[in-house]
Amino acid sequence: MSTTSPAEEIRAALGELLPRLRRFARVITRNVPDADDLVQVAVEKALARAAQWRPGTRLDNWMFGIMKNAWIDEIRARRRRERVHAPEEAGFAVGDASAAARDIALSVQAAMERLPEEQRMAVALVLVEGFSYRDAAEALNIPVGTLTSRLARGREALATELGDDGGSP
Amino acid sequence: MKFTDETLMAYADGELDAALRIDIEAEMAKDPEVARVVERHRTLAARLRWAYDGVLEEPVPARLASLVETRAPVAALPARRPTSSGSMRPAAWYALAASIAVAVLLGLMLARGPAGPYEETRDGLVARGLLERGLDTQLASAPASGAVHVGTSFRRRDGAYCRTFTFDQQDAGLACRGAENWRIEALAIAAVPDGEVRTAASMPAEVLRAVDAAIEGEPLDAAAEIAARDAGWRNSRNVAE
Repeated sequence: MSTTSPAEEIRAALGELLPRLRRFARVITRNVPDADDLVQVAVEKALARAAQWRPGTRLDNWMFGIMKNAWIDEIRARRRRERVHAPEEAGFAVGDASAAARDIALSVQAAMERLPEEQRMAVALVLVEGFSYRDAAEALNIPVGTLTSRLARGREALATELGDDGGSP
Repeated sequence: MKFTDETLMAYADGELDAALRIDIEAEMAKDPEVARVVERHRTLAARLRWAYDGVLEEPVPARLASLVETRAPVAALPARRPTSSGSMRPAAWYALAASIAVAVLLGLMLARGPAGPYEETRDGLVARGLLERGLDTQLASAPASGAVHVGTSFRRRDGAYCRTFTFDQQDAGLACRGAENWRIEALAIAAVPDGEVRTAASMPAEVLRAVDAAIEGEPLDAAAEIAARDAGWRNSRNVAE
């Protein structure tokens, strides 16, 4: 028999997912240290609960759901400690983009940061991660109708802020 | 405007079925305002992706990478499919994982009742009804119509023919032809709920892994597929290599 355990299998798959987990965490936490802390917490939770993952379902979906819950727990804990976290700086460096490209990326990130938590998560999963509505709703554990209305509201706010049609009214 | 903004948003996100897509495209051709709304949704989506894609290029911090370090080189999913017998161990594992996936999904599938596309038999889960007919007759090159769409056909190491499929746009799986039945070797929830034509590359990872574990050589080309179909998908090879 093979010595590979399910936990080992999940570990391997998670290794491949790490860049995407970090990206999603960056979108929802809005800063680098919190984002990587969140990935760490979520990965540890996932490994501890490896047995709960249903093989045949998508691991990324499951992980994003764990991250969402972990982040909501974290926000609640911070509020309890009356230490609501405000990101020190808006946005973060983007790869080795040129200065102009970087400005645009930062303005997009800044606009995202002003969205309410729930809209930001919907936008993050569908527009950044490319999830289908159904998968995103499943990861967030909400009905598809709720997902689409959050997505629509989030998008509208972003478009208004970013002037996405090139400035025309 | 004939369509709500939310419908146009869903169109831009590739969430609509073919009929509605055609309607919207006709409307876009007639009404520049509709085209502009769709374009705006797409532009915003592209800007968002781009704004965060840089994260994917960053090196993963060691403290995170070390969490998921594995003992065995199983770590990376096979980018190339295993070719030597030395790499059979991960392949065997994927086959096992696939059969677990089938077991877990079985309850769900059987809930569809006796007329459904799957039946649990002594040979394991096999295709029935529309799915069986689709696997018997449909070519991978055929346009997606009806409930069944066949992705790739190939031969397994023992010579049996195998085909990836989607059913009802909900399930994605791998079926291999036994003496009497199409046996379901892997089954997962299809990733995309709309009617877009799927390629092998958009199959869920579980199914792709089962394909990687089973496939011998390259997928069948159109001519080989027709020949195999016309021969009733019989395994003409008696001895496994």
